[in-house]
Amino acid sequence: MTQALLQLKDVSSGYKASLVLRKLSLSVASGEAVAVLGKNGMGKSTLLKTIMGYLPKASGAVHVGGLDITRHGPHRVARAGIAYAAQEHALFTELSIRDNLRLALAKESAFDERFSEIESVFPVFKTRLKQFAGTLSGGEQKMLLVARALMMRPAIMLLDEITEGLQPSVIERLAEALLGERKKRGTTMLLIEQNVPFALKVSDRFLILKQGEIVDEGSAKAATAVQRIFDHLRV
Amino acid sequence: MADVHTATLQTAPAPARQGPAKARGLLLLGLAGIALIAFGPWIFGTYLLNILIKAFFFAIVAVTVDMLWGYTGYLTFGQSAFFGLGAYAAGLVFTHAGFSISTALAALGLAIAGTALVGALVGWLSFYRGASPFFATVISLVLPIVLTQLLLSGGAWTGSSSGLTGYETFDLPLEAWYWIAGTALALVALLGWLIVRSDAGRVLTAIRDNESRCTYLGIRTSQVKIILLSATAVVAGLAGFGYGSFSGVVAPELSGFVLGTEFIIWVALGGRGTLWGPLLGAVLISVVSAYLSSSMPFAWQLVLGCAFVFVIVLLPQGLVPLLLRPLHRSGPGAFEPALIERIARPQTGRPAAAPALVLQGVAKHYGHLKVLQGIDLAAEEGQLVGLIGPNGAGKTTLMRCMSDGAERTAGGVNLCGHDIRTLPPEECVRFGLGRKFQNANIFDTLTVAACLRIAGTILERPSLFTRSPTLALPSYALEVVRTTGLAGKLSAVAKDLSHGEQQALELAMVLALEPKVVLLDEPTAGLTKTERTQIGRILSSLALHHGLCCLLVEHDLDFVQEIATRIVVLHQGLIVMQGSFEEVVHSDLVKTIYAGSAHAAPEAA
Repeated sequence: MTQALLQLKDVSSGYKASLVLRKLSLSVASGEAVAVLGKNGMGKSTLLKTIMGYLPKASGAVHVGGLDITRHGPHRVARAGIAYAAQEHALFTELSIRDNLRLALAKESAFDERFSEIESVFPVFKTRLKQFAGTLSGGEQKMLLVARALMMRPAIMLLDEITEGLQPSVIERLAEALLGERKKRGTTMLLIEQNVPFALKVSDRFLILKQGEIVDEGSAKAATAVQRIFDHLRV
Repeated sequence: MADVHTATLQTAPAPARQGPAKARGLLLLGLAGIALIAFGPWIFGTYLLNILIKAFFFAIVAVTVDMLWGYTGYLTFGQSAFFGLGAYAAGLVFTHAGFSISTALAALGLAIAGTALVGALVGWLSFYRGASPFFATVISLVLPIVLTQLLLSGGAWTGSSSGLTGYETFDLPLEAWYWIAGTALALVALLGWLIVRSDAGRVLTAIRDNESRCTYLGIRTSQVKIILLSATAVVAGLAGFGYGSFSGVVAPELSGFVLGTEFIIWVALGGRGTLWGPLLGAVLISVVSAYLSSSMPFAWQLVLGCAFVFVIVLLPQGLVPLLLRPLHRSGPGAFEPALIERIARPQTGRPAAAPALVLQGVAKHYGHLKVLQGIDLAAEEGQLVGLIGPNGAGKTTLMRCMSDGAERTAGGVNLCGHDIRTLPPEECVRFGLGRKFQNANIFDTLTVAACLRIAGTILERPSLFTRSPTLALPSYALEVVRTTGLAGKLSAVAKDLSHGEQQALELAMVLALEPKVVLLDEPTAGLTKTERTQIGRILSSLALHHGLCCLLVEHDLDFVQEIATRIVVLHQGLIVMQGSFEEVVHSDLVKTIYAGSAHAAPEAA
C-alpha cells in the first residue's frame, strides 16, 4: 500500500453536546476505495460531514496529503481536492442541470470535454441540460449529485448513499463508472452505502461503524466479507 | 379514551432529568412576576406606574406576535392594527356616545367583534390555499397602513392626525389600572404558555416546520391559522381597548406599521418563540425608552438602535434564552410520553364494495412535457402493488396526482369511493389516504413523540391546554417504532436522527393516521438490509392482516418480490405492463428499460 492520502486521527465530533464520532482514526491510501458500512445512526454521514468541515471537530486532526484541513471550512476542503456527494438537498434546484455541473469546474472551457466523459454514464442528462435541476425526479437528482462530483475529477470522492433511489441498471452503470474512474485517475474514495453488493464491488476495503467507532474492517474482496458485514448489521 | 387498552411498552423508568430544577426556576420567575404585579404600586412611583401600565398592554400584543411568528412562523407587522382597532373602539364610543356602563360594554363588544371580524378576513386573505408566506406578510403590512389612512381621513370623527383626546373614561385610580393591566398580561402569558406547551400547541410549531407535511396528515392548516389570527387579533384588540380606556388618548400611531414593526423588534430582542422573552422585551424596552427619551431626547433612538444591533449580532436567539440557559440544560424535549396501542377505529362513511383506489385516464402535463398519460389503475384492499420503473418515469408524479386533487391535468381519482375532484391533500387524507414521501418529510424541531402525536391529530383531537402522558398508536405503527429503535428515542429531536431513522419516523407518522390507502415512495431508502426486511414484513402485514391498500415505489427488486402482490411498470409516463413479479421482472421489456444484467440472471444477485 502506498502512503495515506486521507488521514483522520482521533477525530471526535457531533451535534451540540452529544458526540457521534468518538476518537475515530482512519487512513485511506492514495487510490484506495473504502466502504463505510453500518446501521443507521452510527455516525456514517457524520463522518463525511466532519471531514468536509460542515461539522466542527471536537478533537483530533484530519490531513489530506501533507495538508492539515482540521480547521478548514467546506470550501477550502473542496479546494484541497475533495468532492462530496451529499445524501440530500445538495443541488441548486433553480439552476439548470448544465449550470449545476458547470459549478464543479473552474473554467467554462473544460465543460464539454468533462461532460463527454460522463454522459455515457448518465444518458438522461444529455438532452435535458437546460432543464431546472429542481424538476428532476428524486433518482435523477441523485444521479446529478454524482455526476457533479465526477466532473470535478477530484483526488478524493466522498459519496453518501449514492445508490439510494436508483434503478438497478443505473446502479450497475454507476459501479462501472466509479471503477473506471479509479483505474484511470487513481481516485481515492470513501463511500457510505446500504447497498452492500455495490459497495463491495467498488471498494477494496470495508469498515463497520458502530456508535461512532470502527468495530471491524476487512478486505472487500474476501469471500467472507458479505457474511461478516451482515452479522454486524443484524445485531 | 375507552377504546385504548393500556399495554404500556415502556417499562424502563425514564432517565433522570433536570425537570424539577427547571420547574422550580420557572416557578420562582412566576412568583416574582406575581409579586411585582401585586406590590408594584408600593414599589414604583407614579411616573413609572404610568409607563408600566402602557408597557403591559403593549406586552400583551408582543405575546400574540410571538405566538404567530415565533411558534407558527407567520411574520406579521399587522398586530398593531388590531391594537389600534381596540383602542379606537374605546376612543370613538366614549367621545361620541359619552361614557356609561352601557356604552363601555358596547365599546368592549365593538372591540371584540371588530377585531375578530377583521382578523378572520385578513386570515382568509393571507392563508387561502396556495398563498405563500411572503404574501401573508405583505398583507400584514398593508393592513396597518390602510387602517392608519382610514383613521387619518376620518376628519373630526376620528380626530385625524391628532387623534381623540379628553374623552371621559373609567374613573379608576392608577393602582387599579396597574393591577388590571398586570393581571391581564399575566393571564395572557399563562394562557399562551399553556397553549404552546399543549399537544394542540405543537401543531403550530409543526405548521412552522413543515406545512406540507401537516396537510398530508389531514390538518387543515389554513383553518388553524385563520382561527389563531382571529383569536390573537381579539387579544390584541382587548389590550388596545385597555390602553385607550386608560390613557384617554388614541392616535393613529397606535395602529401604524411602525408600532407593528416595534412589536417584532421586541419579540426578536427578548427571544422569539419563548413567550417570556417577548413579554420581558416589551416591558423593558418600553420602560427604558420612556426614560431615555426624556433624559436624552435626541440620542435615545440611536442608543436603542445600537443595542438592537448588538443583540442581533451577539445573541441571535434573543436575551431571555441566554438568561434562562442555566435552567434549560435538559432541553425542551425532555418530556416523554408512554406508548400505548390504539385499537383501529371501525370504518364509517365508506360506500360498500368500492375499490380502495381507482384511477381513470389520469394525465399530467407541464406545458408540452407529458409526464403522465392515460393512467388507468385500480387497487383493492389487501393488495400491495409494487410500482417500478426507470428514474424519471413519473412514479412520484403519479403519487402526487393521487393525493392532491389540484395536481392532475386530466382524468379522475377515486379514493375509497370518494371522488377527490380538485380537493387539497388534507381532504384526500380524510378519505383515508396516507403518503410517505421520497425524502424524509418530518417536523425538524419537534421530538419523535410530538411528531407521532401530531400525526394522529385528526383521529384524536389534541388538548389545547395539557400534554397527554400517553401516546396512542395503531399496532402496525407501534411495530415500526419498536423495530427501528425509535421507541427508545421518543424525546430526541427529529432533525438529530439519522437519515434512516427519519425515514422510519415518517413511515410511522403516516401509519398513525390509520390510512386505508398508503402511498409509499421508497420507504426503505437509507435503511440497512435487516431493517428493510423488518419493514417489509410490516408492510406485507399491513396489506394481508390489516386490509390496507398499499402502493409502493421501490427499486430494490428483491424487496418488491418478497412483499408485492402485483407489479405495475411505469415507463415514460405510461403503464407499460402489469402482472405478477415473475411475469414482469423477467420480461425482456423490463430487463431493457430497467433492471440491467443483475436481474437478467436472477442467481447473479
